[in-house]
Amino acid sequence: MSDLWPRIEPLLASVERPARYIDREWGALHIDDAEYRAALVYPDAYELGMANQAIGILYQCLAAIPGVAPERAFLPWRDMAEQMRHNDVPLFTLESCSPLSEMDLVGITLPYELTYSNILEILDLACIPLRAADRTASDPLVIGGGPCAYNPEPVAAFFDAILIGDGEHAIGQIVSVHRAVKASGVSRHEILSALAKVEGVYVPSLYSTDSGSAVSLGIAPARVTKRLLDDLGMVRSPVCPVVPFMDVVHDRVTVEILRGCSRGCRFCQAGMVYRPVRERTADTIVRDVLAGLECTGHEEVSLTSLSSADHSQLEEVLRRLSRRLEGTGVTVSLPSLRVDAFSVEIARLLGGGRKTGLTFAPEAGTQRMRDVINKNVTEEDLLGTVRKAFSAGWHRIKLYFMIGLPTETDADIEGIGALVRKVQEAAKESVPPAQRGGIRIGVSVATFVPKAHTPFQWDAQITLDEVRRRQSVLRDSMPKRGIDLSWHDPEVSFLEGVMARGGREIADVIEHAWRAGACYDAWTEEFSLGRWREAFDACGVDPLSIGSRVREFDEKLPWGHIQTGLSSEFLRIERERASEAITTPDCTFDECTGCGVCPTLGVDVILGGESRE
Amino acid sequence: MSEGLFRLRIAYPKAGRLRFLSHLELTTACERAARRAGLPYAVTQGFNPKMKVAFGPALPVGTGSTCERFDVWLREYVPAGEALERLRSSSSIDVAPLDACYVALRAPSLAASLTIATYDVVTVGGVSVEDQQGSLDALVKAGELVVEHKGKQKVFDLASTLPKEPKVRTSNGQTVVEITTRMGDRGSLRPESLVMAAFQRSGTSGSVLSVTRTRLAEEEDA
Repeated sequence: MSDLWPRIEPLLASVERPARYIDREWGALHIDDAEYRAALVYPDAYELGMANQAIGILYQCLAAIPGVAPERAFLPWRDMAEQMRHNDVPLFTLESCSPLSEMDLVGITLPYELTYSNILEILDLACIPLRAADRTASDPLVIGGGPCAYNPEPVAAFFDAILIGDGEHAIGQIVSVHRAVKASGVSRHEILSALAKVEGVYVPSLYSTDSGSAVSLGIAPARVTKRLLDDLGMVRSPVCPVVPFMDVVHDRVTVEILRGCSRGCRFCQAGMVYRPVRERTADTIVRDVLAGLECTGHEEVSLTSLSSADHSQLEEVLRRLSRRLEGTGVTVSLPSLRVDAFSVEIARLLGGGRKTGLTFAPEAGTQRMRDVINKNVTEEDLLGTVRKAFSAGWHRIKLYFMIGLPTETDADIEGIGALVRKVQEAAKESVPPAQRGGIRIGVSVATFVPKAHTPFQWDAQITLDEVRRRQSVLRDSMPKRGIDLSWHDPEVSFLEGVMARGGREIADVIEHAWRAGACYDAWTEEFSLGRWREAFDACGVDPLSIGSRVREFDEKLPWGHIQTGLSSEFLRIERERASEAITTPDCTFDECTGCGVCPTLGVDVILGGESRE
Repeated sequence: MSEGLFRLRIAYPKAGRLRFLSHLELTTACERAARRAGLPYAVTQGFNPKMKVAFGPALPVGTGSTCERFDVWLREYVPAGEALERLRSSSSIDVAPLDACYVALRAPSLAASLTIATYDVVTVGGVSVEDQQGSLDALVKAGELVVEHKGKQKVFDLASTLPKEPKVRTSNGQTVVEITTRMGDRGSLRPESLVMAAFQRSGTSGSVLSVTRTRLAEEEDA
């Protein structure tokens, strides 16, 4: 291992936020005599990566394996990358400050489609060949994983292997297989063949995509079944994670209180691919929150999941924590609340007297549209919640909506404006006249992006011109005063949509765009759609045929070889029910909906308490 | 919600890699160390209760120190030696506290009382100690220094800014400039600015390798 610190230190005087590069945080592990080094890489800046829970979980899992040293690396900010290139300093890991290329394993998270160009920037800064096909025995094994792995094809060429699903147990198995075959001195191809036998591991080079979908060349399984941690209780939430010096995005202890969500929102990929619901028990949550606070010294803890208010013991957990944390100034937070699950009691337990803003996501403006997407909340739920919250002293609310959903008409868009007006009126009626000036209503509108493995995976994304037209319909329908309206950049959503459902042909586009300067695309000031359009043209790929085309039910899909447990029949039926605006219940509250996950994967829903209410 | 009955003053360094922390990053690190140490800290009143702490004058990113201080108010008495040990074992080595002692609850705040700071500025560039001393003396005699920072010009009256003459010495084979400055309400002179201005004045191409604060003092100690 080479220690690059003496070459890095002189660069730090001239870069912004050097705390990103110095390591030495509380909880960072320095294992000098490890036989095997595995770097966890987040393809964005330190302050985003350090907020990522998967990095923290896998860091802990790796540290538990004897002889293995976990390390971290992040994408340096542009100023630092420039300095590093200028001074021939390769991308380094934080803990040992050695070149990323000297690691045995480099695991890169796939958090979001707009980070794909960053992956190439990372590999290039690390002097690791961009394409798996060009790597040799001296290169580390480059493995991907995370939310975007459910359609791995656009980035398949850059990875030796991609893990589909939960990483807790899989990472240990990958490391152990890699160590064993590496020690026997076999070829890279043989290493990859051995990895393809690990459940959940997809090795792109062992598949052909000539026919439009990935077909195994023989050694690898025909379909890669997602890895699933049957019971979250089997792996403890990280209680001594690395505590950043820098003010990161979510600077707090996080305890994942449940994984999965079966509310069944038809647009939501996470809700489809992370099934079934697995709750941690109240006892383990309280234990891990207290241990995490003690070990880190953080002043805030967040109880995270896709839908934390659904936890069957949430009120009990909050009550116990509020008792234990009294007088410490430590606060408990939840990432977001469902309109129908909000209770003043929960909000009171969370705030500890503080009344910060509340965030809700009605997603659509009319009941018809909400039934189409299976967002099972009503206008009465929302208005009732607003009245309760504003009467109890909250004055700020933020609402999330989407436009461009399947079957949407202008009447549905105008419905958003009408709903916001009703919210505004309900808020005004619920606070004393003197305080009405303090009411703040934020409305954030995103463009719907169809995702793989959802009932809308066959649908077309609306074009940019159509987004702009619908935005103007929405703007005209909104109350003229007192609303803070913001848009998610439709050009970013357009690119996200193409990346989300593209196949292997996208790899050339990503490389072309990166060579033309694309990087940090998720940062508004760095994003340029023009650069991407040129890349699509240069590679002869038509983005509209990927993003804005309706697919037939029997069309081969690029992610067809990825098995999440959901039956394609279930997705098709859900799509048909969407057309008819028929809702489907949540199996954790109601009866089984036949999505197929439990029987296919041999698992079951796990609740912490007796039942959900 | 809880009155702070005891005011513990902690002395700590900012060394090694951690000199690249910003003031905010450093203060957060100290507060988290105090929580990890399990000190019975007091919290502030109001809607947003926070640990009751107060810090001395801020250090810029990149500047180290051997003499930082912060006060933390406690609800219960913990022997100072025990508090120090607990804090040390809960802190990164480069900011691990060096000393702890109780001070009067009504003692003036660190930020208001500590107005005099001494720094060691290590320079490189092959200029002799004598030449460097000479150019610094000439600069001080000129009486005024104009410093540009983030596009803004600041004018320092050196007679009032420098309670002591800068002194150049050799230490462990390195050239070290010792500079004592008075920190004012209208911004403080960065010691490296003075050193660089002296280099410029004498037409030499020296540069600053490191800056370390070595002493914080009250006005009467100047």
